[in-house]
Amino acid sequence: MNSPPAVPVSPAARLGIDPKLLEILVCPVTHGPLEVDVGRGELVSRKAGLAYPVRDGIPIMLAGEARRLEDKP
Amino acid sequence: MLLFDREILRARRERAARDWDTASFLKREISQRLVERLDDIRRSFAVAVDLGCHGGEIAAALALPGGGSRGDVRSLLQIDLAEGFARRAARFGPAIVADEETPPLAIGSCDLILSAMALHWVNDLPGLLTLCRRALRPDGLFLVAMLGGETLWQLRQCLAQAESDVESGLSPRVSPFADLRDAAGLLQRAGFALPVADSETITVDYPDPLALMRDLRAMGESNAILGRRPTLARRATLTRGAAIYTERFGNATGRVPATFEVLYLHGWAPHDSQQKPLRPGSASSRLADALQTVERPAGEKAGR
Repeated sequence: MNSPPAVPVSPAARLGIDPKLLEILVCPVTHGPLEVDVGRGELVSRKAGLAYPVRDGIPIMLAGEARRLEDKP
Repeated sequence: MLLFDREILRARRERAARDWDTASFLKREISQRLVERLDDIRRSFAVAVDLGCHGGEIAAALALPGGGSRGDVRSLLQIDLAEGFARRAARFGPAIVADEETPPLAIGSCDLILSAMALHWVNDLPGLLTLCRRALRPDGLFLVAMLGGETLWQLRQCLAQAESDVESGLSPRVSPFADLRDAAGLLQRAGFALPVADSETITVDYPDPLALMRDLRAMGESNAILGRRPTLARRATLTRGAAIYTERFGNATGRVPATFEVLYLHGWAPHDSQQKPLRPGSASSRLADALQTVERPAGEKAGR
């Protein structure tokens, strides 16, 4: 499986997330890497097919709160 | 086997977060005692994580009055299961909502993992310890304070008595806690080097047993054990339990003590620079010489 490229610094900052935080954060379900989706304000785990919401700069890393990627928002 | 219902715990923690300042004294005290242990370690920990951060008490305790941080922590990631707590903690620095039971931390990404008064709710403590060891860089430190087996023994005893008096049967009302011996062994099994576990007790004085129960609820610490009876909060049982508590432990003015045991767990992610036991047979001097005595073969009686 292809892992997505390393997360660039600026998108994280635009969501109000400390970019250093993304260096240590992984998907709680797959332990795979996360991508920042600035437009939707989400942290995306492709491997798990889940998008975790970021509310006021606080990532909500719970599978139960995440959007399934095939779902329409 | 799942012991604790994490969803119930989450709901309790969200509720506790709303009015946290009145209930946070024990968390603040334990956080302070925990981070003071960093003062004895001459090392800096650039990236640290706080598992179960509540209102950011560890972050607050890490900050030194003259600026800077204990343990020279540069960034601290605060994790809590409850969004209400993550929001409170975010005033002190980065915070996320995640289950402390399965922290979403990359392998070898942290220098220090801290936690105060959160891990007693974890179902799979051995599993969590292993996850933490992996999340640490080599020579990274795991340093946590959790509630131990002696915690609330008075309350446990009185509620058990009350329940058998009132309902003729027992169900677990106060969560079971790990004890000191378990803790040290678990650290070792999780692959930590130089594991140390020790404990101390903090006794809190309450005006009466109901004040203690209210306080536990405010702390988000009331019973989250799976398989609780639906009749858990039966008033008669609690009232009877409170009466027994006052009878057995109350002082002249009716005030009652409640014991909290705090276990401190301390272990390092293995690294070549750490001290290790020597290989058997590699000694270069004799024990008998060091003790200035005569070496005798095993099985021969000494001083015959």
